Amino acid sequence: MAQTVAVPGQLLGPADKYAAGAGTHIHEANLYSSLLGTIAVSQPPPASKAPGPQKRLTKIAAALATSTNSTTTNTNNVLPTISVSRSAEGVGAGVGGVVEKREVLPEVGNTVLCRVTRITPRHASVAILVVGDTVLEAEWQGMVRVQDVRATEKDKVKIYESFRPGDIVRAQVISLGDQANYYLSTASNELGVIMAKSEAGNTMYPVSWKEYKDPETGLSEPRKVAKPF
Amino acid sequence: MSDRRRINGPVGQTAPPVYASAPGKRTARQLGDDVIRKIFLKTGVTPSASGSAYLEVEDPSTTSPSGTSLKLTCTVHGPRALPRSAPFSPHIILSTHVKYAPFATRHRRGYLRDSSERDLGVHLETALRGAIIADRWPKSGVDIIVTIIEGDQNRDSPEYERDEGWDMMNVLSGCITVASAAIADAGIDCVDTVAGGVAALVAKDAKSQPSIVLDPDVAGYYKVFAACCVAYLPTRDEVTNIWFKGQLPGADSMIYNKLVERSLVACRNANRVLVQSLNETVRQAQIPS
Repeated sequence: MAQTVAVPGQLLGPADKYAAGAGTHIHEANLYSSLLGTIAVSQPPPASKAPGPQKRLTKIAAALATSTNSTTTNTNNVLPTISVSRSAEGVGAGVGGVVEKREVLPEVGNTVLCRVTRITPRHASVAILVVGDTVLEAEWQGMVRVQDVRATEKDKVKIYESFRPGDIVRAQVISLGDQANYYLSTASNELGVIMAKSEAGNTMYPVSWKEYKDPETGLSEPRKVAKPF
Repeated sequence: MSDRRRINGPVGQTAPPVYASAPGKRTARQLGDDVIRKIFLKTGVTPSASGSAYLEVEDPSTTSPSGTSLKLTCTVHGPRALPRSAPFSPHIILSTHVKYAPFATRHRRGYLRDSSERDLGVHLETALRGAIIADRWPKSGVDIIVTIIEGDQNRDSPEYERDEGWDMMNVLSGCITVASAAIADAGIDCVDTVAGGVAALVAKDAKSQPSIVLDPDVAGYYKVFAACCVAYLPTRDEVTNIWFKGQLPGADSMIYNKLVERSLVACRNANRVLVQSLNETVRQAQIPS
């Protein structure tokens, strides 16, 4: 793929030919770049991943395709996504992330990795370290409230039986939250503590959905354990 | 001076060096009236910042070895988390700081921000706010710091006293252009590359009629009547900030419009440099790998 450079404000194409990806914006039915970087056009994968919303998308795209005799030989008539990023895939990866300068923000729905910094009976404060696959430069504050720790028996959840300071937690962003914190949730089997140290300071291993075990002392500690992949 | 924590230099102006042959009166530039001075622009000069840029404007009628009249650096820090005391914000919070280096102008500047620097900061903020897509970055703040290293004041022009602050226009237009490059380098979403440009109504000598020039080299003219600094988005065809200063002769009512139009031309010229420089930034990043 040709590495075409885009600067902010550069016209990329009409909005009915492409779908807007990262680093672009739509102005008066045209797509413009909003970042400095290289242009990447990606064909969407065949519709099989998410049956629910994908179905609706195809319907809209089909209506569009008939009106604007689009020549794209796309099987499911989903528009190709055009995006602008500073390090195109492959180019930036070779240098080892030096080229990638862009900071990302946690968004609602993202899976994040975070470290527990402080616990109170009402919530656990965490520092968000990783969003998706991107390691953040700045630390963003997050909060897992007691009602968001797990999906069932919410009234019986105790924060100190779920998290301890220093634990690494996989969580999902549920809200931008208040002025300081993102609100996170661990109410899913895959979410919860993924790395923990015991009171003795040894790295523990999970034994059940609510227990971690110290291999040296043999003591087990309660945690909201994430299901291993 | 109220700054007692630092060892300050002499207050007020410093004596210029005296040469065997006194520097003559600066003549109006050799360039045409519709040409802006040459601009050097480079991004990524400060490694610790998330985005940075450096801008230099040449001095066409100088004999000094450096040959520049305006030097600016800009650093962009962020987007980063807002301080805990700040209220929730659904969009990015811009804060701009413009600072003259103590040695940037003929009159020595203090380390503390004075009113002209604050003024420039406010103008810069309005110019940039129109270009940034603020709601892409909720709950975050960005600091834009422009340092003026050389302030577009000619040091060997004999009329020292005739300083009416016209050079601030040129400084602001440079600040806008350099900040725009640094923001693009930092990867903050913008609708367009904003660039600054200046047009001024000047008299070239005591007898000549007032005429409009782009990017005025203030010391080269007999008198500056009015000047206009505009921040402009070329692909959107939108003006984000306008700063007009001076007195217009009453005869021509269209002269204000003309002045603004001419400054838009200056903006487009500056923008061409900006786009070229940004293109180079991306290319440079591609070559090593």
